[in-house]
Amino acid sequence: MDRTLHRREWLTLAAASAAALVARPAWAVVAAQAETPLQSFTGPGANPYWNSVGPYVTYPQKSPLLRLTDRPIQLETPRAYFRSAITPNEAFYVRYHLPDIPNAVDLKTWRLELTGNFKRPLQFSFDQLLREFRSVDLAAVNQCSGNSRSRFQPRVPGGQWGNGAMGNAMWTGVRLRDVLARAGIEKGTVQIQFEGLDHGPGPAGKGSHRFIKSWDVHEPVLDEAIIAYAMNGEPLPMLNGFPVRLVMPGKFATYWTKHLTHIRALTEPDTNFWMKPAYQIPDTPGGNTTPEDLKAGKVKMVPIGHVNMPVRSFIIDPDDSAPVVQGMPTVIRGIAFSGMGGIRKVEVSTDGGQTWKAARLGRDLGRHSFREFELVWKPELPGLQTLAVRASDTGGHVQPDSGVWNPGGYLWNKIERQQVLVLGA
Amino acid sequence: MHKTFTLLTLITAAGLALPSALAETPRPGLLSSGDYAAGPLGSELQPARAQPGNGTVYQVGKWPTYTAELAAGPGRDTVLGNCSMCHSVTYITMQPPLPAATWEAEVHKMINTFGAPIQEATAKEIITYLQTHYTPDTRKE
Repeated sequence: MDRTLHRREWLTLAAASAAALVARPAWAVVAAQAETPLQSFTGPGANPYWNSVGPYVTYPQKSPLLRLTDRPIQLETPRAYFRSAITPNEAFYVRYHLPDIPNAVDLKTWRLELTGNFKRPLQFSFDQLLREFRSVDLAAVNQCSGNSRSRFQPRVPGGQWGNGAMGNAMWTGVRLRDVLARAGIEKGTVQIQFEGLDHGPGPAGKGSHRFIKSWDVHEPVLDEAIIAYAMNGEPLPMLNGFPVRLVMPGKFATYWTKHLTHIRALTEPDTNFWMKPAYQIPDTPGGNTTPEDLKAGKVKMVPIGHVNMPVRSFIIDPDDSAPVVQGMPTVIRGIAFSGMGGIRKVEVSTDGGQTWKAARLGRDLGRHSFREFELVWKPELPGLQTLAVRASDTGGHVQPDSGVWNPGGYLWNKIERQQVLVLGA
Repeated sequence: MHKTFTLLTLITAAGLALPSALAETPRPGLLSSGDYAAGPLGSELQPARAQPGNGTVYQVGKWPTYTAELAAGPGRDTVLGNCSMCHSVTYITMQPPLPAATWEAEVHKMINTFGAPIQEATAKEIITYLQTHYTPDTRKE
């Protein structure tokens, strides 16, 4: 074949297809064709695709994932991996703030160190964590605060995640409270601080040097938190926090410190960059505000740890990589979760949100886990149809049909829609 | 396919009547088939297997980088040289097109909040480059 001609044909095709695709909301990551690459960015409108638009890339211990950035590393999980409630380790998303990420860790010298205002400052080896504490299992969703940030209008800077900056794993580890009790929190402690092995090249005292998060010492989530040494029954992938990471059920992932190595009892509140101004949300219902109010200085900001993750649900199948057929029973399936109570109900609409039907819920792995749902749909009308999904949690929260806006790009939980082509038969 | 053809040739050569089972099979509904193209999306190499640890050491090898190309133009080398101190320039291309004022604020955030050692004149050059290639009005790739 004439190479030059072929390339020209391909470029023409690429331009035509790119224009056609813009009009299709929530387009699949699974390919309907393999002829033209997706445009490498979206905006200034909202990202119309389910996932972010970066290329597939290969990393150690990972299946090909979608690249957001390569140094520090940020990788998104493709949609198809959410077909089941447990996200495989090799597909679990990755999000770092600082580029100095461990390549090798020696368990002989690694220690979890408890320092600061403890009665008995202590350190534990990996082996001690395994042998000296009761182990607990917990299925819990880890979701980036900025998951779905690319939906925001107007767009905000930051990691332009689609919906795949989340995952659900069965975490195994020791209770944080058990470890803290061994060291004994001294009177006068106001916060507990967490830091991992990852660092950055920035100057000391700046957020570009260390990534540190803290909690008020009496915060209830500390009672539920675990220090996890296993993820889905295996050691943690390096990019997900080997040797241990914090699991903070119901809270956004910014608090799930990876490579956890330092636990400090503080006598003064932590004012480091990663507590303020980073990861702050408006102190308003749903964390919602407007660019105008923000500019006018009307918005009080608080750490995102003040709230739990709002209820969300996602259609995974059908994903519009293939049409469905009129009159043929088709399974609409996906997952739902909430940080504010377990999933109570998932409703599916096959008419763009006008009418809703309750979906059948899958096995309950606990209130912090993804919950699978499915509904069998027999499409009656040919042409483009719009599916929608809406979850309710046991705390009485229902997903809204409006998008949130705040400057960090946090807390997105609008009802998801999926266009599906129904073929006549 | 090849075998069928050979068989048909033999049968025809022998002057025998064509059995109906070997006649051209109808393919109702077929609109297109056998349409190939070179794979413009490319392929990914499988990684070679490596030892995942040694003794008490858990190891994964080097982190690969897959750094995006920046738009060509004045200031590109300044951006590469300064921004890459802390992060790859994929952080720039990953963003949606951002207003000119937002790019200015981002560069100042890198300097003031994160402590990037960048002089004001250099910062201006970086800001101009970003505004020239990565706003809603200017972004092409």
